[in-house]
Amino acid sequence: MKKIAFALVLGISVFFAACETSDINPNDKNSVSLYFENLVGTDPIVLNTKTYTNASGEDFTISTFNYFVSNISLKATDGTELKFADKYFLVKESVEASKTITLPDVPAGDYTSVSFMVGVDSAKSVSDVSQRTGVLDPASYGTDNMYWSWNSGYIFFKMEGTSSKSAAANKGYKFHIGGFGGMSAKTANNLRSVTLTMADLAKVRKNIAPEIHLAIDAQKVFKSTLKIADKNEIMNPTLGTAVANNYKDMFAVEHVHNDKM
Amino acid sequence: MKLKLGIVLVVSLLLWGCSKEKATEPDPLLVLFEKPSTFPNTSYKMESNPITEDGFLLGKKIFFDGKLSRDGTISCAECHNQPYAFTHHGHAQSHGIDGQVGPRNAPALQNLAWGKTFFWDGGVFDLDLFSLAPIENPVEMDERIGNVLQKLRKDASYPPMFKKAFGTEEVTTERFLKSLSQFMLTLVSANAKYDQYKAGKASFNTDEKAGLTLFNEKGCASCHPEPLFTDESFRSNGLPTDFFRNFVDTGRYRITELKEDKYKFKVPSLRNIEYTFPYMHDGRFISLEDVLDHYTDGNMANLETLDPIFKQNTKRGIALTSKEKSQIIAFLKTLTDDSFLKDKRFAP
Ligand code: HEC
Ligand code: HEC
Repeated sequence: MKKIAFALVLGISVFFAACETSDINPNDKNSVSLYFENLVGTDPIVLNTKTYTNASGEDFTISTFNYFVSNISLKATDGTELKFADKYFLVKESVEASKTITLPDVPAGDYTSVSFMVGVDSAKSVSDVSQRTGVLDPASYGTDNMYWSWNSGYIFFKMEGTSSKSAAANKGYKFHIGGFGGMSAKTANNLRSVTLTMADLAKVRKNIAPEIHLAIDAQKVFKSTLKIADKNEIMNPTLGTAVANNYKDMFAVEHVHNDKM
Repeated sequence: MKLKLGIVLVVSLLLWGCSKEKATEPDPLLVLFEKPSTFPNTSYKMESNPITEDGFLLGKKIFFDGKLSRDGTISCAECHNQPYAFTHHGHAQSHGIDGQVGPRNAPALQNLAWGKTFFWDGGVFDLDLFSLAPIENPVEMDERIGNVLQKLRKDASYPPMFKKAFGTEEVTTERFLKSLSQFMLTLVSANAKYDQYKAGKASFNTDEKAGLTLFNEKGCASCHPEPLFTDESFRSNGLPTDFFRNFVDTGRYRITELKEDKYKFKVPSLRNIEYTFPYMHDGRFISLEDVLDHYTDGNMANLETLDPIFKQNTKRGIALTSKEKSQIIAFLKTLTDDSFLKDKRFAP
């Protein structure tokens, strides 16, 4: 009797030890968070008050820096892809809480890359109004509008500020980029997908909820010589394409935290 | 007042019930919207927003409420007057808040359930999404939809109406927009003299008959086909582009940015055309005579996108004698639907 009990105890502890060493229990789940740190070069954006210089030597400030993130997926080392469908996020530099996106219930595993779309995919862009809740609810924007009511569609990316090089009377510049490809006519499609490989794996465990720290360099918006002096207002999709092609490259994974809870 | 309306509604429901051959429908409220037998299927997904009496009454209240504008002065009805088929009577271009003027003429609000796109340039593809545009337009209502909902939440009369229409008092974007859609969807005009003539219940005089024939044979019907009198396509009928001194309206191009769409506008329905003056997207023509002169007199602009149908004669346009023009106009006036223009269900 005693022996059996002993064997059982041994068996159980061996079992647990086994788990410990193989490390990943596929039944375990935890969350993964993405932190979007918006920068100019390597410095965090300071809204309104700080003046920067772009690749064309133009001075500029930033008063608004917003973008939609959707269709996030995580790819594990074994090649499996985990998709987070029907989840839409609006990252705003002015709202600290909006910069963290938490993905719940991620199965334990080692994840090597993260992908997402900048914008609101075309299916959602033409969906019934009942599908437009949370950050997709036009009533949620207040004065910082992210929806074109006259040309039905979301503004995927919005950057505004001032520059002495702007031809506008108030020296402002406004980049409002949208365009999901059109409902019936084929129009400019400025949806962009971003895939970022992580040098450090994101190791989801029962006691590890990784935080993927992304660095977003607003300076990249001006690469390929996008000049404020040439165009201080970009609000139509065809002109917006050049801006979208630039900003799709502004995202990078800085590092991954795999801290035990 | 509301009671009276309710009674009128119920009475008309009853009457409708009697006049129908199969009076079997158990839900009498369906009368608020009925597809005319001559009309095609709706473009609007009716099942996504079933029309109820309470939803309709809420939508109507919203349509007539100035709270939708920044300073409380401008309601939807300000620019969409029922006696003129819900156009902005007396205004070539619509006047909004602070007396500001936009570049476009308010079109009739009728048979919207069959609309594939909205606005002269078709920029909105879903009626439910439409109302955001006038509310947020700085020269129309200049308000934010979030503020509008907040104002309705604070107005004691609204939350109970939302409850009646949608089950709870919650005022949401979806409910707000869908109730407005419910009201607008009921604006069906299908009982003009023309419709009665087609149904064998009225007769046309010689001019009206000749006008109908000309309308079909001279090509008007190729863009303005019955029964809706629009094919919902985008076309150029050759309006000169220099109407405004400092602004050129590129029409559909503004939305698609495709060269072939430059200066094209959505073909408007001609129902109730007698009352929807002034005409065209910018309200440049005051009378139907002016419109017909435009089609016939060779004054069409030689635009690259001008519809080929207008390029068949030596003179751009459609050849018509003055007699033929007046006959077409006589026919167009048979599209006036008095029962729609005076329908008490649509009055505040
Ligand atoms: C200041 C005047 C004004 C106000 C206020 C206004 N409208 Fe309009 N409406 C217009 C004009 C002008 C157009 C055409 C604009 C265009 O095509 O660019 C229009 C177009 C429309 C259309 C499109 C019809 C079609 O066939 O394409 C609908 C539907 C409509 N309005 C509904 C509304 C509703 C609902 C409201 C209130 C929320 C409203 N309008 C408030 C002036 C107004
Ligand atoms: C190639 C297509 C086409 C043909 C053919 C055509 N129309 Fe039109 N019609 C249009 C378009 C497009 C508009 C709106 C143009 C604008 O406002 O820019 C219009 C506008 C009108 C209007 C003004 C409607 C309003 O609400 O402002 C009337 C009236 C009209 N047409 C009558 C006629 C008649 C009568 C004929 C035949 C003689 C005719 N049309 C032939 C495309 C056509």
